[in-house]
Amino acid sequence: MPDLIIRNLHASIDGAEILRGVDLELSRGEVHAIMGPNGSGKSTLAHVLMGHPSYEVTEGEVEFMGEQVLELDPDERSRLGLFLAFQYPSAVPGVTVANFLRMAVNAHRRTPDGEDNPIRIPEFRKLLQENMEQLKIDRTMTSRYLNDGFSGGEKKRMEMLQMAVLRPQIAILDETDSGLDIDALRIVSDGVNSLVGPEMGALVITHYSRLLKYIKPDHIHVLVGGRVVRSGGPELADELERDGYTPYGVEEAAV
Amino acid sequence: MTQTVSEPAWLAGRRAAALERYQSLPVPTNRDEAWRYTNLRGFDPDQLEQQPGALLLSDAELPDGVVFGNLAAMVAARPELVERYLGSVVSGEEKFAAGNAASWTDGAFLLVPAGVELTVPLRASIEVPAEGAAIHHRTLVVLERGARATFAEDYSSIVPGYVNTVVELVIGEGARLEYVTTQKHHAETRQFGTHRATIDRDGEVDWVVLGLGGTRAKSRIESYLAGPGANAKVTGAYFLTGREHADYDTTQEHAAPNTTSDLFFKGVLADHSRAVWRGVIRVDKGAQKTDAYQENRNLLLSHEAHADSIPGLEIEANDVRCTHGATIGQIDKLQLFYLMSRGLSRVQAERLIVRGFFQPILDRIGSDEVRESLAAELEARMATDELP
Repeated sequence: MPDLIIRNLHASIDGAEILRGVDLELSRGEVHAIMGPNGSGKSTLAHVLMGHPSYEVTEGEVEFMGEQVLELDPDERSRLGLFLAFQYPSAVPGVTVANFLRMAVNAHRRTPDGEDNPIRIPEFRKLLQENMEQLKIDRTMTSRYLNDGFSGGEKKRMEMLQMAVLRPQIAILDETDSGLDIDALRIVSDGVNSLVGPEMGALVITHYSRLLKYIKPDHIHVLVGGRVVRSGGPELADELERDGYTPYGVEEAAV
Repeated sequence: MTQTVSEPAWLAGRRAAALERYQSLPVPTNRDEAWRYTNLRGFDPDQLEQQPGALLLSDAELPDGVVFGNLAAMVAARPELVERYLGSVVSGEEKFAAGNAASWTDGAFLLVPAGVELTVPLRASIEVPAEGAAIHHRTLVVLERGARATFAEDYSSIVPGYVNTVVELVIGEGARLEYVTTQKHHAETRQFGTHRATIDRDGEVDWVVLGLGGTRAKSRIESYLAGPGANAKVTGAYFLTGREHADYDTTQEHAAPNTTSDLFFKGVLADHSRAVWRGVIRVDKGAQKTDAYQENRNLLLSHEAHADSIPGLEIEANDVRCTHGATIGQIDKLQLFYLMSRGLSRVQAERLIVRGFFQPILDRIGSDEVRESLAAELEARMATDELP
């Protein structure tokens, strides 16, 4: 059985329906890309999967690691192994990166009975250092306040650091490439690629095919008007780059 | 009103005059601007039994010339000092300050002579001794030229009571005082206090004002920058729950040129709690090159909590820089979503946001001991609170 199963998912915000019946299946070891024009519901799908409070799911179901997750709070989904790399992560002034990450790691280490099993400080330091080196994140970053005053690129790397430290089963990457220069894009992609494997799958959401040159998807889904209108292999990216979304009735320049 | 019999004539005379003034003034109502947001209906201080507070002072070895002890004892031991400074900062024209001048039973007295630096913070702890007791406490701190000290007062009660306090801080030329006042009361205890510092040339006062629960209080925090180059830094934090109510009335009065003041109050309000902050920056005619700042931020954790935040400027000089800001906001639900998406429970995420909210206040506190004890108090408060 796939690790993540989305069936006929409908969701709205402020009464406007954005997702109109999304179906998708994804397992660890796989990379799926969701591509679509602006306003097609890509980010909404990412947010709804994680449990964003502003969206209302009106129909359908999401099963993750054998559990129905739509009734779960975001923290419960996270502890089950779902991760969302935000396009626009919130800043939390006054809370250092190190403190926040340690709390997040410890939340994931709690035993099924709710017992604390906190990571020891030296072990935590080592975990941070290794991953920060790989993502080329400056050491001083850990004592800064979370995303507070971070540049676009720093925020994206911080999202990748969290993913690397929390080791999710399925990671959703929402427009992780936006705002990154080519070097940062390579670093971020290397980070994702090193994690994808038997233990992690990824759902990569992107407007442009640029990212897919670095993170190779096994499957590509085209989302238009809140529905998956086409699914195919990696070759679909080239087609979309050539023809844009016009064949799907969307007036937009080539991607 | 009770009177101590063995007091010197000057003090008895002052008490009598203050009592007359106290009795001539009505209990304030919401029509009085200063009491607009703090309702005293049903409160009659004269119906309460006046008792001495349970007062404890730190027992530290002090450098030669430092005078530290109970105020009542100092009236006998060092009458020349007490007579000179008592009432020199807080005039006692207002109802409750007059009541205090008439009825104070004891308090703390600290004098640090010129050039002496106290390295260890001194403390006073004032507790309501019994249910329904009214205590009148008075603190007098005098720092002579170039002296330095940290003085911290903790007011507390585990039963409902009433505390009337007056705190006078005399800061001499080039002297520096860190003064901390903390309230941790029973939810029904009222505390009304007037705290005022007068700061001479190049002197500095560093206020830390904490309302950490169980309180129905009104606190005046006044800095009078009397000499050129004087500086006041005023830091406040409050964290209220239940039906607690705290009312802060702050004044930064610039009476001399080249003076600076910087006030920052932050509060978190849960349940049905309510906070009022009213701040005035006053710049007198001759106080050119004044640089003054005031800011108040409130974080509401429930829809029933309420904050009033009223900054004010009264400026008579023309070459000054005065800025202020005030905000009242709720926890950002996107921030909460973000933190929860990393596995933190709602309660953990809210606590983290609250901790982050207070961090800039902690960062302002100079002494490690004071900062660490405040951080611990805030943690303890969060741990016991049922955040929504």
